[in-house]
Amino acid sequence: MAVFDLANLPDADVVALAQQGREPAFREIIRRYERPLFSLIYRMVRDRETAEELAQDTFLKALNHIDRYRADFKLSSWLFKIGNNVAIDHLRKRRLATVSVSGAPHAATEAEVEATSFEIASHAPSALDQLESRELGSAIEKAIAALRPEYRSCILMRHVEGRSYEEIATTLDLPLGTVKTYIHRARLELRRALTPEPERGRAARADDEVDRS
Amino acid sequence: MNHRHLLPDEIDQLLDGEAGFGVAPLQAHLRECDQCRAAFEEERVVVEALEHLPRLAPSTDFASRVMAQVQLYEPWHVAARDSVVGLIRPLAPRSQPVRLLVGVAALSLAALVSVATVWLVGHADATLFFAGLVRTTLVRGLATTGAAAVQALLGRSATQALGGNATAIIVASISLYIVVFLAAAFALRAAAVSRRRRA
Repeated sequence: MAVFDLANLPDADVVALAQQGREPAFREIIRRYERPLFSLIYRMVRDRETAEELAQDTFLKALNHIDRYRADFKLSSWLFKIGNNVAIDHLRKRRLATVSVSGAPHAATEAEVEATSFEIASHAPSALDQLESRELGSAIEKAIAALRPEYRSCILMRHVEGRSYEEIATTLDLPLGTVKTYIHRARLELRRALTPEPERGRAARADDEVDRS
Repeated sequence: MNHRHLLPDEIDQLLDGEAGFGVAPLQAHLRECDQCRAAFEEERVVVEALEHLPRLAPSTDFASRVMAQVQLYEPWHVAARDSVVGLIRPLAPRSQPVRLLVGVAALSLAALVSVATVWLVGHADATLFFAGLVRTTLVRGLATTGAAAVQALLGRSATQALGGNATAIIVASISLYIVVFLAAAFALRAAAVSRRRRA
């Protein structure tokens, strides 16, 4: 087998080698995309261990079906599409699981929810918890966590990964207008979350005036 | 000054650094309107904070854990080609001058074959006569060899069943050859895959 300088090859050539079963090409794909994919998934699920499992699932789904990859799609977009779907599926399942243990479904007030909730064994913060709070503890990270998952993936793809609106629309299977709306609303919510209270009033008034004009 | 304040979409356009005729008036308005500039600045701070977010790394053994579960599938033609290249590569000369010599020899041979082809085309009648002669000899030879191969592999009854028909014998022997070739290719692939797994 010829020796290729994989690091300098474009994605399309690396994928072609992977489709021939070349192990170094698989490793190169992981090397190129482990950080971007892990970052996206970690910020979606906010749990390091789960994010690693989901990122691993994403790579396995992609690499074990590399023969299904279509060259007219960017490799990064294909990986982000799988990663985003995996993360959204996990969040959906987790929400269902949380409803069943976090309080009786008929609880109407917050006090009722609290009264019917299970107390999951409290534990001293582990090294992993400390790492998580260091990595995701900043105000902006907390504000991102409060966004709806759809807004979160759009805003992360736009500003952390630097993808164009068109690319995000293709990757996430959303109409272009929806992507623009999601990103606009996400920025608005982040701005509100990051602006101190007195200024927030002023900003909200300014928004209202802009909306009226 | 344009007294209409910027719409949220227009602030987004400026934040996204869009260019074009439509953006110049928005930028002009932004320079003159304190309220819109304040709104733009607040959004710009958010965008800047987002763009400075680091890419987070998974644990150091992440790639190895993924690779341990990746099913490496090598198409049979790639495995066969690798095996052939593996056989030929040790025979290829190592030094540059010898490689050059071999290359020149190969090119000379190709040139000779081309000249011979042109000559044969130029003497079509003689070529056709000799081609007919070669064809007859070849068919007879193939039929004899094929019959021997069919008899060796399938027994005397198979050759009797073909009834001495030269075309049938050639077709049967070529089919047998293809079957044997495919079996060898699959065996090569299986050997290459198991060697890779062991590695």
